[in-house]
Amino acid sequence: MGMFRDNPVLSRELLVNLRSHRAFILQFAYAGILAVAVLVAWPRVDDGRLGASVTAARQLFDLFFFGQFILVALVAPTFAAGSITGEKERKTYELLLASPLKPSWILIGKLLSSLTYLVLLLASSLPMMILGYLLGGILLSEVARAYLVLILAAGTFGLVSLAASSYFRRTSSALVVSYLIILPLVIVSLYLASTEDITLRNFVSVTLLPPWTIAVWSIVIGLINLRLLRPPDVGSEGKEVVDEEEEQKYAIGVVIDRDLFPDKLFAPAKRTDLMPDGTNPVLDKELRSEIFSQGTLMLRVVIQVSMFLSIPLMAGFLFWRPMPGWYICYVLTFNLLVGPVFSSGSITQERERQTINLLLTTLLTPGRIVRAKLLAALRVSTVLTLLLTEQVILAYALVRDLQLQFWTIIPFFLIILVTCLMTSSIGLLWSSLVRKTSVAMIATYMSLMALFVLPVGLYRWSLSVAQGVSDEVLRWILVPSPYAAAMSVLIVGDRPTNMGGDVQPIERPLAWAGVPIWVISIGLFLVISLVCHVVTLIAFRYRWWRARESV
Amino acid sequence: MIEVIDFTKQYGDFMAVDGLNLSIAEGEIYGFIGPNGAGKSTTIRFLATLLRPTSGEGRIAGHSVTQDPMAVRRVIGFMPDDFGVYDGMKVWEFLDFFAVAYEIPRLERRRTIGEVLELLDLTHKRDDFVNGLSKGMKQRLCLAKTLVHNPPVLILDEPASGLDPRARLEMKSLLSELSRMGKTILVSSHILSELADFCTSIGVIERGKLLASGSIQEIQRELRAHRVLKVRLLNESPERFAHVLKEHSAVKAESVNTIDRTLSAEFEGDGSAQADLLRRLIDSGAIVEAFDEEQLSLEDVFMMITKGVVN
Repeated sequence: MGMFRDNPVLSRELLVNLRSHRAFILQFAYAGILAVAVLVAWPRVDDGRLGASVTAARQLFDLFFFGQFILVALVAPTFAAGSITGEKERKTYELLLASPLKPSWILIGKLLSSLTYLVLLLASSLPMMILGYLLGGILLSEVARAYLVLILAAGTFGLVSLAASSYFRRTSSALVVSYLIILPLVIVSLYLASTEDITLRNFVSVTLLPPWTIAVWSIVIGLINLRLLRPPDVGSEGKEVVDEEEEQKYAIGVVIDRDLFPDKLFAPAKRTDLMPDGTNPVLDKELRSEIFSQGTLMLRVVIQVSMFLSIPLMAGFLFWRPMPGWYICYVLTFNLLVGPVFSSGSITQERERQTINLLLTTLLTPGRIVRAKLLAALRVSTVLTLLLTEQVILAYALVRDLQLQFWTIIPFFLIILVTCLMTSSIGLLWSSLVRKTSVAMIATYMSLMALFVLPVGLYRWSLSVAQGVSDEVLRWILVPSPYAAAMSVLIVGDRPTNMGGDVQPIERPLAWAGVPIWVISIGLFLVISLVCHVVTLIAFRYRWWRARESV
Repeated sequence: MIEVIDFTKQYGDFMAVDGLNLSIAEGEIYGFIGPNGAGKSTTIRFLATLLRPTSGEGRIAGHSVTQDPMAVRRVIGFMPDDFGVYDGMKVWEFLDFFAVAYEIPRLERRRTIGEVLELLDLTHKRDDFVNGLSKGMKQRLCLAKTLVHNPPVLILDEPASGLDPRARLEMKSLLSELSRMGKTILVSSHILSELADFCTSIGVIERGKLLASGSIQEIQRELRAHRVLKVRLLNESPERFAHVLKEHSAVKAESVNTIDRTLSAEFEGDGSAQADLLRRLIDSGAIVEAFDEEQLSLEDVFMMITKGVVN
């Protein structure tokens, strides 16, 4: 019990996290949004439809469960992935390890404190969920099961992120790797939760999930414990140098070779001689020195996990039932996760490492610096994302159904490229607005998630709420989402037998514009990128003059 | 070479620097001293084009700091008090990065980088990673970076802070060497002994106001109306000779320290008057072991000027 009651790590974190105004405001806002959702979806008294309240209750229940599941997947890593790397970045990690605290105490303290707030948020939704229960059509056991799954998910995602946090040195690396590992878990869970087969759902959530989750937990806890007991990356200044060649020798799986294609596209080889005249030194520095400054581990994990995930998705959506839109959604998700790593830290890190004053007293203009940062981030994230598209090209070459509509590959690639530009631009924007990389990174993820997912949720919700508004009009809501853009690419022609029959609603033209969603989306993404770039430049110039004002 | 005119910087209610005026001639090493939080760094950041003033102006080599920051950056080399280095870069890459940032052509870069590495004795570290260097080496590297575009003016904020005694001495001799090369140097520090030996002039700042500025001798003269002569005798009971001092017309006041057998005289005369006083003492039978003008140390000057009020 002492581990919980007298744990200084836990009490410090809880104090710092929960006494902030932000925590209360966020919880208030969360409960408020849920309340509005219930209010809007609440069946009208004069609604004569039979079982209307049951349908509404079911919709509310689904909205709450899926919404909160995604929330857990999003938020758990933002708290947990920074909890140990944060100590490393603040240089308090050694103090903590040198204290008489056992690794298991540190671990429990970090885990519970990361998840307490999340569990509080989940708990605050319970009264609203019970209101849905009062409408009828939902069993109390279903509500209990939903919360069981949510809590298990929170624990698993938190532990995975904590493990990543103990293995990496930077919060940004830990965060992206956590998200990548969580992604397949989320896909499988959401798929299972949305099946119509109630027996399967019950079996999975009650019989299968809890013991397996506990087993996974104990393995991960063991790993983190081991890592905290024998921390290899604590050392003096000299040890912070990462020897790339040495590291590659012991690498498992993918090895990055800067001299070979395609690796040299995102990581050009280190220079052996001075830069040529006219080079943008910032761009050169970012691509040749900074990208692997923390070692290649993060990139290798990212590439391997994404390739591994792409295999079943490729088989399913490109070859077995050719629905390239779904596969492109996966590629876009990958970019959403990886893009911010290279952009959202690029200005804040200059600040954190105290190199910004050196940079700002040279002859480089803010415009050149910001442009170089954007180009470097864009190049790395685009090349990594495009690594996943060779499967698409292969499918268009081999699958007859896709061969017949070869032109559809053009909008797909346009959407991917413009999305890459947009994710990098938004990341850089946050990097110029806030002071800390971890904050910039989380803000970037949140903005991108809002852009990618929110329009889809909003559209589905308004379909059920806004009666009498035509679908063509409502579909304008989808325009900001790259997912919707990818799904709206028209796959027709003499539509082969296994292509799913008719034109999907999402592929039909929008009202007023008369073009499919993706045409408008691409234009919108370009505009968003441009606006972000301009605001970044203004913010950077402003900060340039205000540098260290607060000191 | 460096001129600060009515520089004022205010943060909300807090006045960091209040109407500061400063003028540093070409070739000088100007030591900027003051307690922590006195406004040294604020002034230096303003001159380095990093800070917009609330009011006032600065000029370096004739260029306005506020109107033409780019021209100012070409002529200054700036070393901040706390700075970091980029990860994953070697020493020569780090210098090449800044040389390109200062638009130095490749051919010239090759020569300059070699020269600054040699000057700062870093040639053997050329291929080391910068984040693996020790604090002293990093400090030297940063100084190498500030020299890479061969600026006539160096602005160095606490260049020796955090260094061990040997590295501190090395930094000092480096600065003297740079001064011999004709550079105008503005260097701040709160460690006074660091500056005393080689600064041609100093400025004392406290609570955002410049309290004194000039050569150490000038400031001394301002602080004291008279010179102080110290006479150490080998005779027992030196008070016997106090009357010699009292009777001399150039002596304004005198005192005797019997423990270390020293006479002190506030003296207002020239060299021959001084020689005359010495002759009279000897004539009256005093065995003079030492006869000298008392020098104020920079610490004494500093303590006399500042009141020890920090923000």
